Amino acid sequence: MAFDIPKIDYTGRIKEIKLGSGDEALTVGGQSSYPFHLFEGEMPHPPRIAMEVYDSPPEEWPEAALEPFTGVTDDPVAWAKKCVNDYGAEMVCLQLVSTDPNGLDRGADEAAEVVKKVAEAITVPLIVWGTANHDKDTEVLRRVSELCQGRKLIMGPVEEGDYKKIGASAIGYHHTVIASTPIDINLAKQLNILLGNLGVPDEQIIIDPTVSGIGYGIEYAYSVMERIRMAALAQQDEKLQFPIICNIARETWKTKEVKIATEEDPKLGDARKRGILMEAMSAMVLLLAGADVLIMRHPEAIGLVRQMIGELTTS
Amino acid sequence: MTKKSSGKRISVTFQPDDITATAEYKANLLETAIAAGVPINASCGGAGTCGTCKILIEKGRVDSIRTAKVSEEEYARGTRQACQSRILSNLTVQIPAESRLETAVLEREMASGVEAQAALATGWGFKPSVAKDFIELVPPTLKDNTSDLSRLMRGLKKRHGREKISVDFPVVKKLAQVLRDGRWMVTVTTLRDSETGLRLINIEPGDTRTKLYCLAFDIGTTAVRGQLLDLNRGKILAQSLDYNRQRSYGEDVISRIAYSQKPGGLKRLQQAVVATINKIIGELIEQAGVETKDIAHMVVAGNTTMTQLLLGLDPKYLRLAPYVPTINTAPPLTASPLGIEVAEHVHLYTIPSVASYVGGDIVAGVLGTGVYQRKKLTLYIDIGTNGEIVIGNSDWMVTASCSAGPAFEGGGIKHGMIAASGAIEDFNISRQNLEPEVHTIGNSKASGICGAGLINIVAALFSAGVINQKGKFHSHLPTKRIRRGRDGYEYVIAWATETEMGKDIVLTEVDIDNLIRAKAAMYAGCQTLIRSVGTSCPDVERVIVAGTFGSNIDIDKAVTIGLLPDLPRERFIFIGNGSLLGARLTAFSHDLVSEGQRAAGMMPNLELSESSDFMHNYVAALFLPHTHAEEFPSVRVKLNKAEQEIGI
Repeated sequence: MAFDIPKIDYTGRIKEIKLGSGDEALTVGGQSSYPFHLFEGEMPHPPRIAMEVYDSPPEEWPEAALEPFTGVTDDPVAWAKKCVNDYGAEMVCLQLVSTDPNGLDRGADEAAEVVKKVAEAITVPLIVWGTANHDKDTEVLRRVSELCQGRKLIMGPVEEGDYKKIGASAIGYHHTVIASTPIDINLAKQLNILLGNLGVPDEQIIIDPTVSGIGYGIEYAYSVMERIRMAALAQQDEKLQFPIICNIARETWKTKEVKIATEEDPKLGDARKRGILMEAMSAMVLLLAGADVLIMRHPEAIGLVRQMIGELTTS
Repeated sequence: MTKKSSGKRISVTFQPDDITATAEYKANLLETAIAAGVPINASCGGAGTCGTCKILIEKGRVDSIRTAKVSEEEYARGTRQACQSRILSNLTVQIPAESRLETAVLEREMASGVEAQAALATGWGFKPSVAKDFIELVPPTLKDNTSDLSRLMRGLKKRHGREKISVDFPVVKKLAQVLRDGRWMVTVTTLRDSETGLRLINIEPGDTRTKLYCLAFDIGTTAVRGQLLDLNRGKILAQSLDYNRQRSYGEDVISRIAYSQKPGGLKRLQQAVVATINKIIGELIEQAGVETKDIAHMVVAGNTTMTQLLLGLDPKYLRLAPYVPTINTAPPLTASPLGIEVAEHVHLYTIPSVASYVGGDIVAGVLGTGVYQRKKLTLYIDIGTNGEIVIGNSDWMVTASCSAGPAFEGGGIKHGMIAASGAIEDFNISRQNLEPEVHTIGNSKASGICGAGLINIVAALFSAGVINQKGKFHSHLPTKRIRRGRDGYEYVIAWATETEMGKDIVLTEVDIDNLIRAKAAMYAGCQTLIRSVGTSCPDVERVIVAGTFGSNIDIDKAVTIGLLPDLPRERFIFIGNGSLLGARLTAFSHDLVSEGQRAAGMMPNLELSESSDFMHNYVAALFLPHTHAEEFPSVRVKLNKAEQEIGI
């Protein structure tokens, strides 16, 4: 008797969403099976990687993370261009760290002007990530939304506490919202329902389940993402059938294990290699859990993950 | 109290009760009020955090710090927190309406659900544990000079055949005189005890059989409810209730247990509940026109903590893992040594409990509603601060308890109150102009919102699209009733001119959040329990809802907010106070004493805090009506219809 590989009967499909505008717009989602289960269903669009750009010079990055961007970290436009031109970034994520009220507290207008300049300098899809301060993000992202109309940004994090105003602005200017909730499948679904009720079209929602790196609770993020995909694909939970975005770079590069210099603890091995591998491995874990868009930092880590994606998607 | 000034007596008069107490210099004002029997609120037990004991100093001086609970304006007018005030001089203190423990109109709630209760209780024989027998004895002669007791027992044996009868010693002490006073015609009172058989507990001269009464009590964390029963006719002669005086030492069982650990705390709590019981007994006696001496028995149901505190048993270990009560079934005991003002032969029977957080109150409810007797799969839900749930039928039962918080009894709600006169109980809202229609208990001026009111208000605001599924206001709506308050957005339910205290009654987003948490805990508890026994909500054939949050519950609205499962409405029965019902029936039927023990014994307890599903279900239930709307199909249909009507 021939052996049949047991297969899962899927009843749902992840919605396809288009990111960005113009020739270099990308589509993610559309899967009809668990991640890379190509023997069970389709994965019409491979996961995508966005390269991180800060809107003010990073203060706490380890040497290994700074080194590829020498000379551009004080200029977000040059930095974004370098990501695209030198490292082949298919997307860029501009982290608006300068707007943090507990930090530089840069004003909404000034921050939005920078976003606009970056958006004009590159043609790949652009993610704009705030500081998760509800009042400030509302102010900043609404301004960004207005200034960059037509650019089809992906903006967030949009949380329960600020979804109404940012959501309304995204509807008005046709941007995609990053629906962000703290590692809980029910909260993720609730926010999607609220956004839907507000009138945000399904093609403009991407889920941020909140993630962390290896050693810092990545198994929780994994489990929640896995459950989101199970509900979406096997239990027809329409309000969870959205692509997932993971802001993973900042989580791995801030850990003690990545920051310790080689000479401080030689047992841990080469600091540069350690950081790249921590980022690549964390990203890979999240891909297996269902990530559609990864926000990453180091070109070599990105290279490793791209290679894996390639191998897993060629049948 | 400083040594220097001890001995200096100060007089404090509390208005409007006109009670005067003496106190020492720098004595705590709240403690002085409680000691003097002044009805005053203190939800947090005097910690200064709740602001419910606000009073007005009319004359005299106190040393009091202003906390965030007292506004500057109030402070200037003389408002202080009693618990934060030390007495410096002779005082006249006014206790405003909102700080009083009001009782008079709580009675309305007592009457509720009685008819539904009668419909439920079946299958028990009327046979009280306590009975009276009239016995005529042959007087002794020189030829027949056997002892008084042997003579009495000979007479009793004729009546009861071979049944073993034991005698309580106090009966023997008065035996000789009573026999002769009654000219050898006496009435004996016997108590049927499952362990020891028949016990002779009292003897009276003459025939007193017509006077045989019993007390049934529900000792609640918030309120104590009592009934006087006629054991000859199986009737309720009188009923009354009062706030549990322990409330002045903390609002929930945890704060009571904490208080019991203070020096003298356990004794004070025991005395407080006994004082409440005695006050109620006094009222019952007066209402019914009977004499205390004719009360022959007492049956009490309460949660495990309340039962242990009444018996003076240290409740410390109830709240420490692995959460073990001192007793589940109390051994036979008499009531008077506890301080309860009844004759010394009166035995106190406490309905057995199952676990630390599943008490005699829930056993009483199961007993009273016959959940354990019927084939139908029944879900019994006691909605309260400590939500209790039972699922099962005559073959099996499982129970769980979940901490819902005090929202259903008005706790943690800005203008929350117990279901008493002036409590807003029913509420509707016009979809056109978003104006409310408010009904209060007793049709008096509104003074707050009770549990039932809270459910109805949130259901109405949600159905009308005033709040979203997270309980947050749509602030852009064209009404001046939605405004920004101290705790975020709020909805004005009644303007100052329409209320008892002359202040706006509002419902805040924080209040709604507290209700959503409470309902989520109840629903998730039900769901977790139902799934743990391998069944699902639609299989539940009957839902019995108990609780004292109002005179009734609008099942439809409770389903709308996702408190109760969305089942055909005819499957629901509201019974009001299930605990008191069980206590009363147990008083009427000795069969139920052993049945109660059997029921308690067949109810394993599912510890929800140990269940990984509970937390998941709880978060899913933190949404109106629920994250998984498909579990509430009727609500979805209703909301869709409403949306079409108002075009949102």
